[in-house]
Amino acid sequence: MHAAVASVSQMVGEDREGICIVDTDATVEQFLRVATIRADAILVVVEPYYTSLETGLRMTKLGKLQGYERIALLANKVRSEEDGDAVHAFAEEHGLEVAGLVPYDLRMPDAEWAESAPLDFDPDAPSIAAIDELAARLAEQYVERSVAHE
Amino acid sequence: MNLAIVGKGGSGKTSISGTMARLLARRGHRVLAIDGDPNPNLALTLGVPAERIDDLPTLPRDLLERTPEGTRFTKTIDEVCASHSVQGKDGVTLLVMANPKKAGTG
Repeated sequence: MHAAVASVSQMVGEDREGICIVDTDATVEQFLRVATIRADAILVVVEPYYTSLETGLRMTKLGKLQGYERIALLANKVRSEEDGDAVHAFAEEHGLEVAGLVPYDLRMPDAEWAESAPLDFDPDAPSIAAIDELAARLAEQYVERSVAHE
Repeated sequence: MNLAIVGKGGSGKTSISGTMARLLARRGHRVLAIDGDPNPNLALTLGVPAERIDDLPTLPRDLLERTPEGTRFTKTIDEVCASHSVQGKDGVTLLVMANPKKAGTG
């Protein structure tokens, strides 16, 4: 299956205006296989506790070894300002980039229980706003800028 | 832009992936979402009704061929999407890589 994911990502990689989002099953041990994907950026979703951040660090190192230049942590389920500070402190200590923080939001699991998409369950949820802000930033960095430079 | 989302199970990467895909589509981008998880759940976050999840089309193996350079598809991405994709809300196109129903498949 990873060959198929890699092949699709290669095929769509030339399309600068389009956006391809690959949701992978990648854990640390699988990351070396997944790292055949053509990706302009990799977001490593972590949670604000030590073992999760350590996993994010290992995945980032593996990705860098594979030649990916843009790998950033995306901290999810951030419960407090202290959580956010801890993520940033860990990232700074290890030279990692933090793409963004998504707040802990019970509407995410509630949406799952309701068999609903988070965006339909509560479009005004704080987690949605954080993801929207990140999406806008990534699109500006990778799509609109590259198209404008053509 | 190709964006890969990775992370430990339960970290929320699928909810983030699907939500981000739809929000980017709402901003006017053409978005292709690829569910590369053997336990695919991305469709639900894209607004595909839960009752359709078990019957989503997946990519058959005969669409892939081995070459000296590696594995590649025998069709273009547009042809693959035309025959095997699902439409999520906000115009997001979804390709599900596999949805194994029993051991030894997928």
